[in-house]
Amino acid sequence: MDDLMKDRIEQLVDYIMKKCLWQFHSRAWDRKDQNEGVLTKTMQLLCAEPVELETPADRCFWVDAVCLAEAYKKRYAWLAAMNKEEIKLLMQGLHERMDHLTITGSLNLELTDRHY
Amino acid sequence: MPYHEFECSKCIPERKKHAVIKGPGEDLTSALPLGYLNTIPGSISERGCAYCGAKHVIGTPMKDVIHLSHGPIGCTYDTWQTKRYISDNDNFQIKNTFATDMKEKHVIFGAEKLLKQTIIEAFKAFPKIKRMSIYQTCASALIGDDINAIAEEVMEEMPEVDIFVCNSPGFGGPSQSGGHHKINIAWINQKVGTIEPEIISPYVINYVGEYNIQGDQHVMMDFFNRMGIQVLSTFTGNGSYDSLRGMHRAHLNVLECARSAEYICNELKKRYGIPRLDIDAFGFGTLAEALRKIGMFFGIEDRAQAIIDEETARWKPELDWYKERLRGKKVCLWPGGSKLWHWAHVIHDEFGVDVVSVYTKFGHQGDMEKGISRCEEGALAIDDPNELEGLEAMDMLKPDIIFTGKRPGEVAKKVRVPYLNAHAYHNGPWKGWEGWVRFARDIYNGIYSPIHQLALLDISKDDIPTDKGFMTQRMLSDKDLSEEITSSTVLRQYTGKYDCLSELSKKTYPGFDPVLADAA
Ligand code: SF4
Repeated sequence: MDDLMKDRIEQLVDYIMKKCLWQFHSRAWDRKDQNEGVLTKTMQLLCAEPVELETPADRCFWVDAVCLAEAYKKRYAWLAAMNKEEIKLLMQGLHERMDHLTITGSLNLELTDRHY
Repeated sequence: MPYHEFECSKCIPERKKHAVIKGPGEDLTSALPLGYLNTIPGSISERGCAYCGAKHVIGTPMKDVIHLSHGPIGCTYDTWQTKRYISDNDNFQIKNTFATDMKEKHVIFGAEKLLKQTIIEAFKAFPKIKRMSIYQTCASALIGDDINAIAEEVMEEMPEVDIFVCNSPGFGGPSQSGGHHKINIAWINQKVGTIEPEIISPYVINYVGEYNIQGDQHVMMDFFNRMGIQVLSTFTGNGSYDSLRGMHRAHLNVLECARSAEYICNELKKRYGIPRLDIDAFGFGTLAEALRKIGMFFGIEDRAQAIIDEETARWKPELDWYKERLRGKKVCLWPGGSKLWHWAHVIHDEFGVDVVSVYTKFGHQGDMEKGISRCEEGALAIDDPNELEGLEAMDMLKPDIIFTGKRPGEVAKKVRVPYLNAHAYHNGPWKGWEGWVRFARDIYNGIYSPIHQLALLDISKDDIPTDKGFMTQRMLSDKDLSEEITSSTVLRQYTGKYDCLSELSKKTYPGFDPVLADAA
């Protein structure tokens, strides 16, 4: 991954960490679902692809994704110059980085608790 | 993100891993304070017990309930009236507190008889109240009284009453947070699903982790009513016992204080498939986003937008008046749990203050993850601080004000640092657009109160000038501001009423949309 891409991913991470709450659910399995649900839908919105809204859970991910996608478009002008493939790569990198920060690399000892 | 060792805690080496300083370019994987662990012996903690967390924080805001502590009188007395969770039934649950008043003889011979007698006596004394929560304490837990059995017995004898039992004795966790957890799980196991609520709107939520401090819930209910959303239950501020038994029928759980109430949301998600939406309702931008998300979930975001536009236009000039005068002021954000992350970023963005430290008395590592992410670089994050560490931190950071509880707040006053009560507020409510301006006003009054200059004079030895008055708030706050700001015709101080709630209770609303048969 080149430095420009890394830098852009960090900007996207920084926004989530400062403004959002969905990435910090209580357990590792919740965080995995949350990252997957919200970031996949955000990517689909940024790429103008259809978003599945079948279940209440889908809708819940979607409302966070809409706000995130809007904020990204407003703050990061460079997004407008990217094509779909580039956005997908960027969002994949973001997803991996978020999984690392909130799940696999997290120092939170309660994430692996088997109960709520 | 290096750990920070306090000079005063060098003799308690385990404390070192409970504080970090957020360094440049570092992330949460390099250091995170330990959290939610037993307090280290020798460290005089500011925490409460697990009984207090269950009863005082979560149970007692339920309004139409006799809250009975099964234990010595001190347990209930010390958790009585320390938080201002008002209710619209004349504050029944704040005005009264109930205990079995266990004595030594009960510890020796058992207190089950006493418990039964007290339950019946309490119901007879308040015949209109038909619901009760019983809270176990250390003493009743240690002697092994079977509270559930007694409650069952009474419910058989008095079929019109319903009783909830919360077994969360003081020692049942490292802090009050252990009690939050236990009462969440006990409530969903014992009570949720035991009543079928009436669904009167196509848009139905539980509002969870909201304790109606000085009327916060009333403010939020106004927004939900304006949007045509049915709030099935509020967990638990101003909430009624029976409405909380029907939580399983909501379409969405809107979660505010995740620290104290995420457990029940997680269980509602697992058991009933109700999604959990975490929101921040403190602050202009944050609350706007929260309402928009709830609106979008139901496809009624235009109703949220109408509220956002109206409220922002009304209150923004007042928020900005304070922002100009609070910019750059240093704040230690030292609440109990969730406010460290609810407020860390938004007071910086919207009041212009700099958060130089966050701490949490009973938060978990998850709260620190959120709090550290949201505060600026250089901030000192402390888990379960003791009083000496608080003093050392204030000496090191020289804050202009701290937001904390009464105990550490009074300590701060002694070293002449003003404080605002983060748990019970000063002049709340602090939620909603108007509430957020009231918070800004409280900060302004705290920082610029003339008392700080006057308190520095010692009348027993200092010369007291009699030829000139003291500096007023405006003289202090406006001295470095530009003419453009001080004489602005747009910006203005708070213009709301002293009591901003009574109007709300008189308001009428358009009502709810019809519920379609297949959606009910
Ligand atoms: S620690 Fe035990 S004895 Fe003390 S207040 Fe809590 S329940 Fe009562």
